[in-house]
Amino acid sequence: MIITLLVFLPLLGFALNAFYHFNSAARKREPSVWVAGLIASSAMVAAFVCALIAWARLKGSAGVGPVLEESLFSWMNLGALHVEFGYRFDRLSAAFTLVITGVGALIHFYSIGYMENRGSARYFCYLNLFCFMMLNLVLGSSLPQVFLGWEGVGLASYLLIGFWSKEMANIAAAQKAFLMNRIGDLGLLFAMFIAFKFAGTLDLARLAGFEFRPDVATVFGLLIFLACTGKSAQIPLFTWLPDAMAGPTPVSALIHAATMVTSGIYLLARLNPVISQSTTVLLVISAVGAATALMAAITACFQSDIKKVLAYSTISQLGFMFAACGVGAAEAGVFHVVTHAFFKALLFLGAGSVIHALSGTQDVFKMGGLRKRLPFTFWTFTAGWAAILGLFPFSGFFSKDMILHEALVAAHGNPWVFGVLAFSALLTAFYMTRLYVLVFFGESRLSEEAGSHVHESPLVMILPLVILAVASLAGGWFGVPVHLETAHGEGASSVSPAVIMALSLLIAGVGAFLGYRKYSGTIQVEATKDPFRVDEFYGAVVGRGVKSLASFFGRYLEDGFFQKILQVSGAAVDLGGNLFKTVQTGSAQGYLLMMVLALLGLMFGLVFGVNGYGN
Amino acid sequence: MTMLEPWMMLVVSLVIFGVGLFGLLVRKNLLVMLMCVELMLNGVNLSFVAFSKIHNSLDGHLAVLFVMTVAAAESAVGLGLVIALFRTLKTVDSDQIQILRD
Repeated sequence: MIITLLVFLPLLGFALNAFYHFNSAARKREPSVWVAGLIASSAMVAAFVCALIAWARLKGSAGVGPVLEESLFSWMNLGALHVEFGYRFDRLSAAFTLVITGVGALIHFYSIGYMENRGSARYFCYLNLFCFMMLNLVLGSSLPQVFLGWEGVGLASYLLIGFWSKEMANIAAAQKAFLMNRIGDLGLLFAMFIAFKFAGTLDLARLAGFEFRPDVATVFGLLIFLACTGKSAQIPLFTWLPDAMAGPTPVSALIHAATMVTSGIYLLARLNPVISQSTTVLLVISAVGAATALMAAITACFQSDIKKVLAYSTISQLGFMFAACGVGAAEAGVFHVVTHAFFKALLFLGAGSVIHALSGTQDVFKMGGLRKRLPFTFWTFTAGWAAILGLFPFSGFFSKDMILHEALVAAHGNPWVFGVLAFSALLTAFYMTRLYVLVFFGESRLSEEAGSHVHESPLVMILPLVILAVASLAGGWFGVPVHLETAHGEGASSVSPAVIMALSLLIAGVGAFLGYRKYSGTIQVEATKDPFRVDEFYGAVVGRGVKSLASFFGRYLEDGFFQKILQVSGAAVDLGGNLFKTVQTGSAQGYLLMMVLALLGLMFGLVFGVNGYGN
Repeated sequence: MTMLEPWMMLVVSLVIFGVGLFGLLVRKNLLVMLMCVELMLNGVNLSFVAFSKIHNSLDGHLAVLFVMTVAAAESAVGLGLVIALFRTLKTVDSDQIQILRD
């Protein structure tokens, strides 16, 4: 029952907050953020405790892949299709569940402080709904259940990105995220159709053990991958994520660190046995992952909005994880998901704390010198910075090294992927240092208005930062045994992990040094630009293509054809009406005369056998 | 003095029916038109009786009784309608009662 309980606790929080919201609205009162936030947070904390208990049980149970399974009811029973609605808790799900509930709970707490003056019970409703859907995604026992969560997080993220719905830009960003995700969802749907047709089952465990025909495996893998590129913001569907920064900052932390964007990695890792059946799919995944890592890292160097830098950095890190899945080292990818959840949540929440302190300023060129004025935020942000750079002994060091090492030595590893990832790591160090220096060091470049009331965030925001900083520092040690094990286990390449570690530290050092040198002296304000102009490209090609197709149909099919049909049929009815209108004189005797004449005609026909009446 | 032959009765009934129909078509006064309807009904009644005699059957008589009953009811309703029409439109001229047109 423990797993069902842990999944449904956020739903309970959602229901309570929804009730609270409507009850307040009925009494024309503003719901208290503290009450709503505490309801939502305690639901998450309780879920986290449940997750810990379940994890302890999992550790205690024997067997090679221990699984806790809870089946609730038979969801679909249509002919050959049987889908159970149930939850399955194994090591992979455990990692994700602990991250979602743990980091999620911290973000809920943080939101209380961040949203104090502009939140409502509605906000916490959405947060809880999001977590519920995400838990369904990672714990569901079958593909349809994953799909339920998959769509659910899409919906919740749509609601949260557009939470401040009074601004058109936010709504546009929410819609963009939703539509981009839908494209990916199509891949998952088609993958399900294929799975049912060829494997006859949608159960994840049975599907993972199924041997597809090679060509089917390739198509299935590519469709799954398409779905993952949508959710996890990879080329070509990544453009929604930077725009998704329109939402409140804790939402960015929740969506871009702990949960939604990692669902693609989850699915790839879950279906890893199937994906691995096709080398084409693996090659595509690693190539796209590496390309995304590089592209997003380059773009991040040109952003001036603190949240946009972090957003592109997330895309880049997700690229690392995809590359890891692509080279056949999914466990390295999942390990990076976990560490990344800690330090990216930390960075986002730190950025939120900075934005909160500066009353909404997000431009890094209008910050500077905040080290003294926001000491807690500074030190925790430092931990996040060190972690994402991969400095020893922070968590990013272990997970990123593991990916880099696997890129060389894993079964499908390849030096190109390694090279691209290593260069991306260099860029990561560069742009993160750029951000770090611009925000916290140097002279203050604050505007008068923002500078006058800079204040450190309240305790409810600082505490999650500190906890996450500790997790960023210590989180890597969980994966160390796995790290060393895989490092020595495979002899595909003679590169030793130590060399990679040294190289990666060197890369981080060089990147950080370059970033520090460029941005520590006098600072020239750089305009934000998108070196790849992907949005413009989509606007020009896809947008304009669809538009011209629509106008073509509008002009020729709609106006030229359907409109004509309607006009002609309308005109025919009109003509007939006018013709027969003359008969309707309104004179009763006129009608009578017609009746008599008609009767006479009928009788005539009857008697003389016209048209066979006469027999 | 010859017997009254059934065909003579049919001719008379046809004439009565024709007079009624003609009157219904050409007269404009609603009351007269109602009377013409009665005339037509009675023409039909006569033909029923004639056929009854021809076929040596009582069915015709039966039908006549029904027709007379219905005719009584019909004239009551019809007269009522005419009075109601007269009250609202102040006329019983069928040419001027064309309010259902267009």
